[in-house]
Amino acid sequence: MRPAVWARPAAGLTVAAFGLIALRAGSLAPLRTSAVGESVLRLSWSARPERIEQCRRLTDAELAERPQHMRLRWECEGRFARYLLSVRVDGRIVASDTVRGGGLRNDRPMHLFREYALRPGERRLGVTLRRIDASVRLDSTGGQVAAGAAAADRETREAQERRVRRAEALPDSVSLDTVLVVPTGRVALVSYASGERKLVFRTGQ
Amino acid sequence: MAAALLALLIVTGLYLLVFYRVGAPWQSVERLQADPYLGRWIRSLHRFASDAMVIAVLLHAWRLFAQSRSWGPRALAWTSGVVLLAVLFISGWTGYVMVWDTFGAELAIGGARLFDALPVLSEPVRRIFAGDQAIPSAFFFINLFLHVALPLGAAAGLWIHLSRLARPTLLPPRPLLSAVFGALTALSIFFPTPLAPEASLLTVERHVPADLFFVFWLPWANALPPWLAWTGAVGTFGLALCIPLFLHRPRSGSWTPSVVDERHCTGCNQCPQDCPWDAITMIPREGGHGVQSALVARVNPLRCVSCGVCAGSCAPMGVGPPGQTGRDQVARVRETYGVADVNELRPVAICCEHAAPDYLAPLRARGAEVRRVSCAGNLHTSAIELTLRAGAPGVMVFTCPPRDCRGREGPKWLHERLFNDREAELQSRVDRSRVATVVMSVGDPEGVLDAWTAFAAHLQAHDTQIPSAFDDPLGAYCEPVPLENSR
Ligand code: HEM
Ligand code: SF4
Ligand code: SF4
Repeated sequence: MRPAVWARPAAGLTVAAFGLIALRAGSLAPLRTSAVGESVLRLSWSARPERIEQCRRLTDAELAERPQHMRLRWECEGRFARYLLSVRVDGRIVASDTVRGGGLRNDRPMHLFREYALRPGERRLGVTLRRIDASVRLDSTGGQVAAGAAAADRETREAQERRVRRAEALPDSVSLDTVLVVPTGRVALVSYASGERKLVFRTGQ
Repeated sequence: MAAALLALLIVTGLYLLVFYRVGAPWQSVERLQADPYLGRWIRSLHRFASDAMVIAVLLHAWRLFAQSRSWGPRALAWTSGVVLLAVLFISGWTGYVMVWDTFGAELAIGGARLFDALPVLSEPVRRIFAGDQAIPSAFFFINLFLHVALPLGAAAGLWIHLSRLARPTLLPPRPLLSAVFGALTALSIFFPTPLAPEASLLTVERHVPADLFFVFWLPWANALPPWLAWTGAVGTFGLALCIPLFLHRPRSGSWTPSVVDERHCTGCNQCPQDCPWDAITMIPREGGHGVQSALVARVNPLRCVSCGVCAGSCAPMGVGPPGQTGRDQVARVRETYGVADVNELRPVAICCEHAAPDYLAPLRARGAEVRRVSCAGNLHTSAIELTLRAGAPGVMVFTCPPRDCRGREGPKWLHERLFNDREAELQSRVDRSRVATVVMSVGDPEGVLDAWTAFAAHLQAHDTQIPSAFDDPLGAYCEPVPLENSR
């Protein structure tokens, strides 16, 4: 039997209408996100790990052998410290691992981004970052006290630079321990305030 | 359709761009959304058109894959098409991030997670979206730049995509174009896309309203470790690029490139005009075989896809893929009618090899003498004339839908040669009422068979007789000349 004259246009219109409905539905479909939980504990910071180094004071003769632009009174060798990060929720350890500076040689700041699922409600949160490697102080043996104002000036400047670097680095240990009410659908954010050299806490309320 | 939608996206996108602010992305989109007369529906049209474009491009790619039109000289179009598809997806990604609603933030975070798995930056990009600092407007600026530059790059990339084609068809048939644009506009006006809430990085969203045409991959990318997600993405892209290698056929048999027999070429310059792949050029003739033209046709085998269309364009039958030239066709007609009983000749249905094969048996059942040809554009008008002169009451050529022709322009050139005197035209001495063409469309079997029945009835009604002048039809038309490849 032959289809009626109107059958083709009607079929065409039906297909077009379903096509449009599907287009709009596909364009606005609810998608589950990558959120790790109903509420989230997020750790995010950039901080410079402390440099663990062994320094030696060069003699004037050694210094004179170096090219002009490489004459530093103190010669240091070392690496950047590793830290133990531990995260506790209501006294339960949810993470405990070693973190270190970025880059292939770990000589870049420690960039950290972690997320943990949290159950909403009153929670006791603890985050600790403790240095693993013991720091080594300056070793001043071997060198000679330099003579002259320019040499003394350089030595002061170098000492100052090392102090600034150490002051900018993460302290031996930082921690945050607090009780808070985490609402459903909120992020509890812990970051490192480099000016105050401590972990600070923000909620998205 | 894809190219027309790309144009629509560029036009609507330019309008939206005027209102976009990198300093306050979501607020600027909110202002647009609040304008019920233009802003809201242009925004929706931009979005729905981009979805329609994904569908159109995937259908386009699927059709060419299914028709095995990806390898050999077409590999450049295929690989550049795969790159265009990737560019389309990345453009969509940047577009949704621009809005900076909850979906945009989810995409940005998903992208940052994937990016951070690459050993590029020591600071994870993911930290930008931690919520402890304002997102740098440089991020929105770079994103905006990419969203504008990529589609414009795609428009330029189309040039490479189409560089091997003569007369590329950029627009679909006008009724289809109007219907699609009209439907998308109506959808945008009556069911505009809403604006999701502004992204808040310290809020946990469990679900966001997402565009699955662009981010169908996101749930997998979120669930898998980033390296596996990358492997999947790069693997799929690589596999898509390599499809021409998998589908490659040896260039022999029906895939042999066309050749010119310079002894027959009269330098008429017709085949370069008809070749849909610009594979033929006219060059000065070297040496020569006697009194010949100054120019002679030359096929570039690296561009020739062996469609056979040139064979149908050459009046002296001097060009074509071996076995598909006009001379080969004429020889086959002679062979057939050399053994046929002339009194029992039936009307002939010449079907394109690629046109729906399901029709062949019903056509035979309706009294047709069915013959095949590699493409309607390959059919030489002399083969039709000789068939009629041999005594067949009529010839009906069954072609693919013109837009679906593997030879790109077969049905068009056949029609021109049969009815509009395009070289190599069907001679005026042939009775046109005994020749017809019909599109063998898959969706209309009754229509196709009805056309045949009507044609057969018409032939019977007009009682077409074998012309008495051709009692020796085999010698009547052309001198048999063995086809040799001149080079
Ligand atoms: C932005 C997206 C794209 C647009 C606008 C586009 C547009 C076009 C157009 C207008 C043609 C010429 C058609 C003709 O006149 O016969 C064409 C041919 C072609 N396209 Fe695309 N295309 C796109 C993406 C793709 C993709 C994703 C693929 C495959 C992966 C692809 C594969 C091809 C091939 C192989 C041809 C050549 C066909 C032949 O030589 O027979 N294209 N494209
Ligand atoms: S159509 Fe035939 S005669 Fe004309 S240029 Fe081409 S090969 Fe030569
Ligand atoms: S067969 Fe002829 S028309 Fe087809 S691509 Fe080759 S040269 Fe061009």
